[in-house]
Amino acid sequence: MSEIAIGIDLGTSNSCVAVRAGESAKVLPNTYGENTTASVVFFQESGAIAVGNAARANIIHDPVRTVSSAKRLIGRFYRSAEVKKARAICAYEIVEGEGQNVEVQIGEERFSLPEISAMVLREMKSIAEAQIDEPVTKAVITVPAYFNDNQRQATKDAGRIAGLEVLRILNEPTAAALAYGFGRGLNQRVAVWDLGGGTFDISVLEIGGDVFEVLATCGDTFLGGDDFDDRLIDLLADEFLKRHKISLRNDPYALEKLKVAAEGAKRALSVDSEVEIRIPDVITGPDGQTHSIERTLTSSEYAKLVSDLLQRTFTVCDSALSQAGMVARDLDGVILVGGPTRLPLIREAVASYFQQEPKADVDPDEVVAMGAAIHAASLLNPESEAYLLDVTPLSLRVGVAGGLAETIIERNTPVPIEQTRRFTTFQDYQDSVDIRVYQGESREAREGELLGQFTFSGFERARRGEVDIDITFEINADGIVKVKAQDRATGQQAETRISLSAGLSENKLEQIIDDSRADRISSDNNEPGESARDLNAIVPAPEHRERRAVVEPMIPAPEAAAAGDNAVAPAPGEQMTFDDEPDTDEIEIPLDTTPFDDELVPEPDDGELDAFDGGLPELEPNRPALQPAADQQDSDPDHIGLKDVLFEESGGDLSSTDTEVES
Amino acid sequence: MADLASNEVVALAGILGDLDYYQLLHLEPDARTSDIKRAFHASSRTFHPDGNRHRDVDVRKAIDQISKRITEAYSVLRNPRRRDAYDRHLAEGGSGVRMDLAEADAIASRQQTEARHGRTPLGRQYSSLAAENLAKGQFAAAVRNLQTALTFEPDSAFFKEQLEEARKKLDAEES
Repeated sequence: MSEIAIGIDLGTSNSCVAVRAGESAKVLPNTYGENTTASVVFFQESGAIAVGNAARANIIHDPVRTVSSAKRLIGRFYRSAEVKKARAICAYEIVEGEGQNVEVQIGEERFSLPEISAMVLREMKSIAEAQIDEPVTKAVITVPAYFNDNQRQATKDAGRIAGLEVLRILNEPTAAALAYGFGRGLNQRVAVWDLGGGTFDISVLEIGGDVFEVLATCGDTFLGGDDFDDRLIDLLADEFLKRHKISLRNDPYALEKLKVAAEGAKRALSVDSEVEIRIPDVITGPDGQTHSIERTLTSSEYAKLVSDLLQRTFTVCDSALSQAGMVARDLDGVILVGGPTRLPLIREAVASYFQQEPKADVDPDEVVAMGAAIHAASLLNPESEAYLLDVTPLSLRVGVAGGLAETIIERNTPVPIEQTRRFTTFQDYQDSVDIRVYQGESREAREGELLGQFTFSGFERARRGEVDIDITFEINADGIVKVKAQDRATGQQAETRISLSAGLSENKLEQIIDDSRADRISSDNNEPGESARDLNAIVPAPEHRERRAVVEPMIPAPEAAAAGDNAVAPAPGEQMTFDDEPDTDEIEIPLDTTPFDDELVPEPDDGELDAFDGGLPELEPNRPALQPAADQQDSDPDHIGLKDVLFEESGGDLSSTDTEVES
Repeated sequence: MADLASNEVVALAGILGDLDYYQLLHLEPDARTSDIKRAFHASSRTFHPDGNRHRDVDVRKAIDQISKRITEAYSVLRNPRRRDAYDRHLAEGGSGVRMDLAEADAIASRQQTEARHGRTPLGRQYSSLAAENLAKGQFAAAVRNLQTALTFEPDSAFFKEQLEEARKKLDAEES
C-alpha cells in the first residue's frame, strides 16, 4: 500500500537509512539521534537479539555472541581466502553451511549470512518506520560496486528476509554520485573514492544533467577501514607480546578490546594529530597479574602503518582511470565516501593523487544512503528524474575445454546487456554439456569466482562440433546474472533457462522467512510485538526469484543425472545431483545413460585469426528474452534450485575455484 | 521525458533485428564519439527500464530488449576498434546487423595483428625476412626487404616504421 521507498546503505561497520525529501534526501536518525547505526548483531543468551550501537557495546563483553562485519562474509564460499581471514580475526564462530555457504554459530543456533544482514536491514527499516510513522516495504539497498553476482544476490535475499521489496541493488559510488549531482544540472566528470569498512571502490562517472553514466569502476573487496584498524591492532599486539611475552591474539576478549581501541584511535586521529591509547586490564597474565596498554600514537606514525594500504587504492584508481580513458586532471571533482575518509591523512593522499581537493560538501557517512533514497523515490515515480547507467564490475565468463574461461561480457560494459555466444560439443555423440559461469579477470577458470553451473541436455546427439548451442548471458540493472542455453536445431523446445547463484536455496529462504527469527530483535524503535506483526504482514510476494535456478523444460531426470555423475571423470565433484523430482509435465526425460563429456568448446570461428569467415551467429529478430511462461515457472517453488543441485556433493573441488579475484 | 507510445515500443522491439546500431541510436555513419555518447544518453532517457517500471508487462519486456540492444550498440560504437570491426561487417553485408562484443574484440585484435605482420602473403613474407635480418644485424638486407614489402602494402605504417628503424641502424653502422 505504502508508496514510500527508503534507501539503505548497508555498510560493513555502519548502516544508514534515508528517505527522499524534495530535491534531496534526509537521513533518518535512530532513537538515540545517531545518523548511522552499527551493523552489529548481538545474540543474548535469552534468545533476544539486539542490533545496532547498543549491540556494538557488547563486543567487548560477549564477543562470541556479537556478529560484526557480516558484509565481509555475505555471498562468499566458506573456503574463500576472505572467510579464512575473517575466521582468524572474528571472535564469533564461522562455520560451513550447506552448499559451501558461510554460517555463523551462536550457541546452539546457526544463522546464514543473509539472515544476519537481514537483522541489520530490519533495524534500519524500523528506524525509518519510527521516523516516518508509516510502514515501509520498499527499499533500494546499496552494495560495493565491486561486489560479484553471488554477493549481490545474497544481499537481495537479505532484503527479502527483512520484509523488504528490493527495488534495486545499487552500487555505492553510483549512489554517492547521484546524491551529489541530483537536480543540479551538472555537466561534470567525477571520481568517487569510496573506502568503506571492508571494501574499496573507485568509480569514474560522467554526469550529464539527469544522466549519470558510470565510465569505469574498479575495486578491492579485501581492503577497507577494518584493514587500517588491523594494522594498529598488529602493532599493539606485537608490542605487548615483546614486552609481556603474552599473546593477546589468543584471547577473544583482549582482541575485541584492541579492536575497539584501534577504531577509536582512527576516529580520534580524524580530529587530532595525536591520540592517547589506553586499554586498562587488557588481559590477565598466567601469574594472575593484570596488564594494561598505554601508548601515544601520532598521526604520522599511523600514516606509516597504513601507507601501503593507501597505495593499493591508488593502483586501483590508475586502472579505473585508464579504463575510463582519462587522467586525473580530466576530472571536475572527487567525492569521498566512507568513514575512514574523514582521516586527514587520507584526504591529503587522495588530494595529492587526483591533484585537486575533494568535495567538502558531501558527508562521507550519509551520501550513499541519500543517493539510494533519491533513486528509490525516483523508481516509484512514473516520471523518472534521473537515469543511472551503470556497468558490470567484473568480466563474465563461461568455462570451456582445457580449464579455461572465455570472456562473454567484459568488465565495465554498461548494463543491462545481453550477449549470445555459440558453442559446440567436444566429443562425438555427447548428449549433455556442463555449463559453468564465472566472474573474474583471469582466463584460468579456477581463478575466477564460480557463479554457478548447470547441465544442458536434450539436444540431438551428433558428431563432435555438429551441435550448436547458443548460450545467452544477461546482466540486469542490479548487476545480477542470468543465463540460458538453447539448442539451435531443436530451438525453443530444448531451451534451458536458468538463473545463477550460490547462496540460499528457495526452500531455505522461505524457511528462514517462516522462522522469522528476526522477530526476536528487541528494537527501541518499535513497541515489542509490533515489529513481529509487521514482518508477517509485509513479506513481499515472492516475485524476485532470480537467484533460484530453474532448469526447464529439459531437466535431466535424477537417473540421468546419476549416470552423468559416474561418467564425468575429468571433473570430479562438479556434477549436479537432484534431491527433488522436478515438478513439471513438459519434461522429456533423457533415458540415455551414455557417459557424457562435460566440456564445451567454442565454435571454431571464435577468436582465431583466419576463422572469421564463419560469420556471425545467425540471430533471429526479436530474440526471446523474458517470456511470460518462463517467468511463471521461475516462481514455481517446486522447481529445482540451482544451489540444491550444484554444490551439495561437490566435494573439495570448489576450493580452488572460489578464490576472490583481486584487481 | 514523455513515454513513447506503447504500440511504438512494441513495434520497435519487433524490428530490432533489422536496425543496425547507427539506426537504433539515430546516428549518421560518420558520427563522432561525442555524438554517440549524446545519443546513448538520449535513448536511455526513453528506454531505460527504470523509467518504464510503471508500464504494462508487454511494454516492459519490449523495453527490456531495446535497452539491452542500446547498451550493446553503445559498447561497440564508442570503442574505435570495435566500431571499425563493426563498420567492416556492415560494409561486407555480413549476416545480421548486430555483433557480439567478444567477437568485435577478436576481429579488432586480428586487424591489429594483420597491421603488424602484413595483409598480403608477399608483404608478410618480406617483412618476416626483414625481421630476421634485423635480429641478425643485417641492416642493409632489412632495408631492401622492407622496401620490397612496402611495394605490396604501400600504406603499412608498421612497415614504414620498421624501415625507418633499419635505416637508422644502417646509418649508425656506416658512420
